[in-house]
Amino acid sequence: MFSLNLDKKADSRAHLVENKFSLQVQATVNEVGKALLGKNHQIRLALCCLFSGGHLLIEDLPGMGKTTLAYALAKALHLNYNRIQFTSDLLPADILGISIFDQTTAKFSFHPGPIFSQLVLADEINRTTPKTQSALLEAMEERQVSVEGETRSLPDPFFVIATQNPSTLAGTYPLPESQLDRFLMRLRLGYPDQRAERELLEMNTERDKVKEVQQCLSNDAVLEFRRKSAEVNASDALLDYVQRLIAFTRGKEEFHFGLSPRGSLAIMRASKTWALMCGRNHVVPEDVQTILPNVVEHRLRATSDEDGHTGASLVQRLLNEVDVIE
Amino acid sequence: MDISYQIPRAALIWVLISVILVILPQSIRLPAWIIAIVVICITWRLLIFAGKLNYPGRLVRVAVVVFTLVVSATQMRNIGVGLDSAAGLLTLGFVFKLIEMRHKRDIYVVLSLCFVMAMVAFLYSQSAVSTVYIAITVTIITAAMVALNRSSLIVDTGGTMRLALKIILQAVPLTVILFLVFPRIAPLWAVPLQTSANSTGVTDEMSPGDISQLGRSAALAFRVQFENSVPLLHENLYWRGLVLDDFDGATWRRTRSRSAYGNAAQIANFQFDWEDRIRIEGNPILYNVILEPTQQPWIYALHLAQPVSKNMFQSRNFEIFNNGLISQRLSYDLSSYRNNQTDLILLDSQRSRNTELPEEGNSQSLEFARQLRSSVATDRDFAYAVLAYFQRNAFFYTLNPALLGENRIDDFLFNTLEGFCEHYASAFSFLMRAVGIPSRVVVGYQGAEYNRFEDYMMVYQYNAHAWNEVWLEGEGWIRFDPTGAVSPERIQLGVEEALRNDPAFMEEAFFSAARFGGVDWINTLRLRLDAIEYEWNRRVVNYDEDVQFELFERLFGDVTEQKILILLIGLAGIVIVAVGFTVIRIEPRSKHSPIVKAYLNIGKELEKVGLGRRQGEGPLDYCDRVVDARPELAGVMTELTDLYISLSYRSKSPGSEQQKRDLKDLKAALNELRFKLSPIARFR
Repeated sequence: MFSLNLDKKADSRAHLVENKFSLQVQATVNEVGKALLGKNHQIRLALCCLFSGGHLLIEDLPGMGKTTLAYALAKALHLNYNRIQFTSDLLPADILGISIFDQTTAKFSFHPGPIFSQLVLADEINRTTPKTQSALLEAMEERQVSVEGETRSLPDPFFVIATQNPSTLAGTYPLPESQLDRFLMRLRLGYPDQRAERELLEMNTERDKVKEVQQCLSNDAVLEFRRKSAEVNASDALLDYVQRLIAFTRGKEEFHFGLSPRGSLAIMRASKTWALMCGRNHVVPEDVQTILPNVVEHRLRATSDEDGHTGASLVQRLLNEVDVIE
Repeated sequence: MDISYQIPRAALIWVLISVILVILPQSIRLPAWIIAIVVICITWRLLIFAGKLNYPGRLVRVAVVVFTLVVSATQMRNIGVGLDSAAGLLTLGFVFKLIEMRHKRDIYVVLSLCFVMAMVAFLYSQSAVSTVYIAITVTIITAAMVALNRSSLIVDTGGTMRLALKIILQAVPLTVILFLVFPRIAPLWAVPLQTSANSTGVTDEMSPGDISQLGRSAALAFRVQFENSVPLLHENLYWRGLVLDDFDGATWRRTRSRSAYGNAAQIANFQFDWEDRIRIEGNPILYNVILEPTQQPWIYALHLAQPVSKNMFQSRNFEIFNNGLISQRLSYDLSSYRNNQTDLILLDSQRSRNTELPEEGNSQSLEFARQLRSSVATDRDFAYAVLAYFQRNAFFYTLNPALLGENRIDDFLFNTLEGFCEHYASAFSFLMRAVGIPSRVVVGYQGAEYNRFEDYMMVYQYNAHAWNEVWLEGEGWIRFDPTGAVSPERIQLGVEEALRNDPAFMEEAFFSAARFGGVDWINTLRLRLDAIEYEWNRRVVNYDEDVQFELFERLFGDVTEQKILILLIGLAGIVIVAVGFTVIRIEPRSKHSPIVKAYLNIGKELEKVGLGRRQGEGPLDYCDRVVDARPELAGVMTELTDLYISLSYRSKSPGSEQQKRDLKDLKAALNELRFKLSPIARFR
């Protein structure tokens, strides 16, 4: 059920304004789309998350193309890429790196772990122990790593795509709400539609396609996106709308708890980036509505919730019941 | 303790100020020990505030309750159940609550009591000054309530005060309307005012020293306004009060008939032959008097007066009585005939009463009177001869005369030769009666101060005076004033001039502005203030049932019960509607900007063709949906959406020129949409 495409506005067609940013985004989406067929909206959201400087959590069944997305993104944006497969015996040092005694120099030299790269794919994050999870999450938050008393900066841009398998939870350590909150977005890829599936079958293998992905954006362009998105204008009317959305989550009984200020900041950050990606310099309510499911679903929980996956229906209520105009 | 129940510090200061303000006017009347307790309680509260003292323990509180019970019981026994004791008890409970208040709930009790205390002040004084004071106090109490409901982190005194003022000002129109139209219903019960103990004024007995006592007081007796502002000379301003015709050798008294003063019917019997007993000429002088409360039934008027106001009647000596004691400020209209003659024919009973003297004493004066009478031809000449005697000899007009011996008249006439008006009036009447001429003492006030600001006159207690009336054959009762013979300036210029150098004059009114009458600007200020007070009394305090009725009549013609009912229902309706509107206005829906209004209208228009805006739908999505359904609207719909987005979401500075232009375009586009929609809607 998690792979059902809940997003009705997968194709954000008409709201684009053609300019440098929207064209760049379009080109990137097309390029990544070569590897991940029929998932343009998800690619777009992943880019939005990256441009906003947040981290992405992909939650889906195995074999849906999570790794492909990460790898293709890394190639298209020319980011160096590392993949960490999380297992129950993984230790923090395996991620962060370790100092090893070098006999030739008779000194300890630091061997950076896989986290020292621009795009990190943390595969099956819920398989590892909380200790290791926290090591990763701390690095995500601080954008630096302290190993053996020395602080080392992580590269910029630094982007983590964590994945987790929501179905078989036995022997896993699900991330608690406090840690889910660290991810700007939670994304589901979902099954490809019929046409994309057919194309996929015709090609036989998907991995080869990833190799064809060309670089579309430089690191500087990524950083410019991040800088410009902060300058996007959010008018009073829009802030009112966002505030009403937040107030709705805090005031209703069905919501186990309301959105945190970090959550509301995440909405604004993602909305601004989305507006920029659409080629606008101002946020419209549609931007908020588009990113809202992915930004707040994992932060919300119904009072009657047991497994933490009721956020989607709550977001639908938010979208339907909170009016754009007061 | 939950933080929301704690008392914000800023609010506490406001509450303490309110408490002090409401107790201040009471403090003049309250006993000193209550004041001491008030001060202790406020200090205690301040010390709790500063963290130096704790709240009172259970033992202290029980002690306080017992103490208050005992005190109130003794108070009631000593001074009786009345306003003073009740006000004292209220004050005690009020300040004790002050040291006990810990929670917001307690403060609300204290603040409600503050309002009650403020109203208690009105029971004592309804003057303009006290009204302004109470209005300020009520504003401060409201500010305390505002401060109480603000966050304890905000210390914004100005803002609190502004909000309180705004609330009070909003209440003003309703107050005025209620004041004008609320039915004046007579009180079902009345609080006994215990003010007779310290009230000053003319009484129905006159012993030497009584009126000179009034000369020490600068309290106001009454105010007078003449209808046609007749310029009366100071020496004609004899405000006649009571006629005293019974003398026992020391004291002049009013002969009381079998009935008490309050019995209107008895005295009204004298009315029937009023016309026969007087002879009047010329036009009457019309004037209005506002008398300060005297706790006595009689009123003051220029002789010969005829009351215009109802509930007044005249005694057989032409005194005028109110029906009942005057316990609050009384306004009455009078008409007086200055050219008058009364009782041209004197009844025997009257004659004997007005010539009666005690059988013993004052033999020297009796002998003196007989000798003087034999030296002149007529009764009239005799009266003038007595006046001449006062004038020729070294009589002295003073507030502090020497004490008189047993034969008071003898002692005064031949020994001390000094006295105040009552001495002269008493001696004069005695000499008249000694030779069988009917004569009596009249007490009242003489003179007045003119207030040019509102064109009226003020009469003070120190204007109190006593003079005589002598009955002469063919002339009736004639006024004689022996004081005028001794001190002509007293009559012509006023008591202020006559007693300028007398230290006892107005000695009870040390700080009274009248003492500084010589300083020009103080005098102007005093007159100006009194003028305001006078207008206030005339227009506000005296607004009673009759005036209300008159006002209604002027506004609506004949006043019927039906009309009053409709008026009341209408006003109640207005108030309810006004309150309703305020409540509705609190709903945020009404503050739509013109931009949003125009945009909502788009939705309303499209609703007619089944394309209304859905809740939660963004403008771009809506536009897409409409264009999908009605491609012919694509142009105008896109324009509208673009304009709306540009107005609402693009710019951060509303009110710019560009915005105004866009809004105009938006409205124009809306009209275009209407135009395009009308055939479609009709077709549907």
